[in-house]
Amino acid sequence: MQNEPVDVLIIGAGASGAAIAWSLLETRMRILCLEQGPHLDDKEFPSRDDGYELARYGKFSCDPNVRGLKQDYPINADDSCIMPVNFNAVGGSTINFLGHWPRLKPSDFRTQSLDGVGADWPVDYDILAPFYDMNDRNTGVSGLGGNPAYPDYTPELPPIPMGKLGQTLAKGFNEKGYHWWPSDVSILSQDHDGRQKCVNAGTCDLGCAAGAKGGTNFTYWPILENAGVEVRSECRVREILVDEATGFATGVLYHGVDGQVHEQKAELVVVACNGVGTPRLLLNSKSKAFPDGLANRNGMVGKNLMFHPLTGVAGVFDEPMLGHEGPMACSILSQEFYETDPTRDFVRGYGLHSGRSTTPMTYALGGYGIDNPIPWGAEHRETMDNVYPFLAGLTVVSEDLPEQHNCVTLDPDLTDSDGIPAPKITYRLGDNTRKMLRHGEERAKDILLAAGAKKVLAKGDDTVWWRAGWHQMGTCRMGDDPETSVVNGWGRSHDVKNLFIVDGSIFPTAGAVNPTSTIQAMALFIGDSIKTNIETLFD
Amino acid sequence: MWTQTQRQLLDAILDELVPPSNDGIIPGAGALGVAAFLPTADAHAPNPVETTLAVMAALEDGFVYLPRVARVAALQLVETQKPDAFATLVRLTYMGYYSRPDTRPLFGVGAHPIHPLGYQVPRESEVLMNELTAPVRARGKAYRDAK
Repeated sequence: MQNEPVDVLIIGAGASGAAIAWSLLETRMRILCLEQGPHLDDKEFPSRDDGYELARYGKFSCDPNVRGLKQDYPINADDSCIMPVNFNAVGGSTINFLGHWPRLKPSDFRTQSLDGVGADWPVDYDILAPFYDMNDRNTGVSGLGGNPAYPDYTPELPPIPMGKLGQTLAKGFNEKGYHWWPSDVSILSQDHDGRQKCVNAGTCDLGCAAGAKGGTNFTYWPILENAGVEVRSECRVREILVDEATGFATGVLYHGVDGQVHEQKAELVVVACNGVGTPRLLLNSKSKAFPDGLANRNGMVGKNLMFHPLTGVAGVFDEPMLGHEGPMACSILSQEFYETDPTRDFVRGYGLHSGRSTTPMTYALGGYGIDNPIPWGAEHRETMDNVYPFLAGLTVVSEDLPEQHNCVTLDPDLTDSDGIPAPKITYRLGDNTRKMLRHGEERAKDILLAAGAKKVLAKGDDTVWWRAGWHQMGTCRMGDDPETSVVNGWGRSHDVKNLFIVDGSIFPTAGAVNPTSTIQAMALFIGDSIKTNIETLFD
Repeated sequence: MWTQTQRQLLDAILDELVPPSNDGIIPGAGALGVAAFLPTADAHAPNPVETTLAVMAALEDGFVYLPRVARVAALQLVETQKPDAFATLVRLTYMGYYSRPDTRPLFGVGAHPIHPLGYQVPRESEVLMNELTAPVRARGKAYRDAK
């Protein structure tokens, strides 16, 4: 195994690692990416296999504690109401994400100025807009232009079919006079750029076998590897090393596929392990200069963990909703209740997402991300025969506010298969979020009834989905003040001048939309900033 | 794996956990052979055989000869006496029942043909999309400026 020094070392081959590698490709710097997971062949994805549903509860679970594979690190979430979920492979969690692709909105970047909560971002929508566009072109995005909930832009490809479910819900929103729009998705509605369009199989979380979903295993990495970027898979970084004299990062120690510990030197280190993996790595990188973890002089690494807490409401209709046809998460999205409204008892807001393609086993076991099976016996038969086919649902996706007590720390006992301390999650719902979810549940009921539902099914018990920790944000927040943030406005550590962070951990606030398009747009922006500032990069 | 007696009892239990459809077209979990799945389910629960045997052992002799109402009552009692084992058996039964590709088409909307088949879903026409979105567009801008 070669460990010659490189110019740029990227840790993590998921959404953000791929995007910044693409941005830096034109510099002709030598780029190496270390990824703890393997290269996966799409021919092995469970979405091609008749046993696909069992895989969802085994080796392809979104929950690393369920998968328990060598490349996975366990997560202690005993003190959290939400379990972080992920996937470890070249492509990262974009292999099993659902491809929903909304952007943050202008107000999301200014929550402190507008609403007195959270923190303003050092960048704004207008700065990011060209990077959103760039990333959309690289990824392949389907949607309908003219959405009044955003400054004007138009996805390159036409929207994916809304289907009967989406059309029915849209009529309900129209009846109530509420906003909705066909979802922007990183799923191809037509053959594009050598990739096949979506076949509506509804198994997006099990690795898209068609290549229609814009995981970086299909988009960025094939291009990057062909261009000479090295991806060293099944290599887990143990710690980032620093020069005690200069305070600069010098490279990393990692566990290689050969089982040995190696040192890899680099001029510039980019961390792209997302909102749990990144603080875990920094907290594990202790030295004399950084006894509490790298880039953590102010103690902010791991703080302000944000998810998007979810709850769901379903309507039972007179006719089959054909909700099993089409991509899982994406049909339509309402942002009627997204912005702050002073007449409500909470600030900020939430989105209402239509969900579809819950498969029979998953529904019987309680739904995606939920471990609460439906009743057995006669009620089971009744539910599966006379309720399940007639369902259309709405998911309330709420904006989480940054709170320091919600955090990632290191577990004192739990380790991964290489003996590296595992992350421990401490997280509870804020009062604002609870109010938001209750409001959303009531509005969702109204909309479903307006759409023609004869009955509405809602939990109403103030709990959120357990395996809903896809969106991990805030734990290494960006900001201009070195006392309150970990990285500056273009992702560079305040403490370590050649250390960059490019994943969701740098989000100062969470918004209420799926974050991947923003994560990648930010990574492209940071790459662009590195190129722009290359002469004075380490000053 | 199972003795003939065990299998008879287990099939009777499984047919109560997931009964057949009223028209008889969709078989229950026992008739479908979910019993054969359980010993293979160790990726989804620790000790699935021991768990299943624990539920079976908690039932009184003669369960298979009871009328259905009495079987349900007997299982409800076990559910309260051995909640963890019972919940695991229910979960594994659902997994075994709904993972059979040969029976999924019986569930209609559960068929889910896998890649490269999928479903043919027509895209909404421009006319329909314009009609549906017209009220939303008519309301105008729906975001806050942040300047």
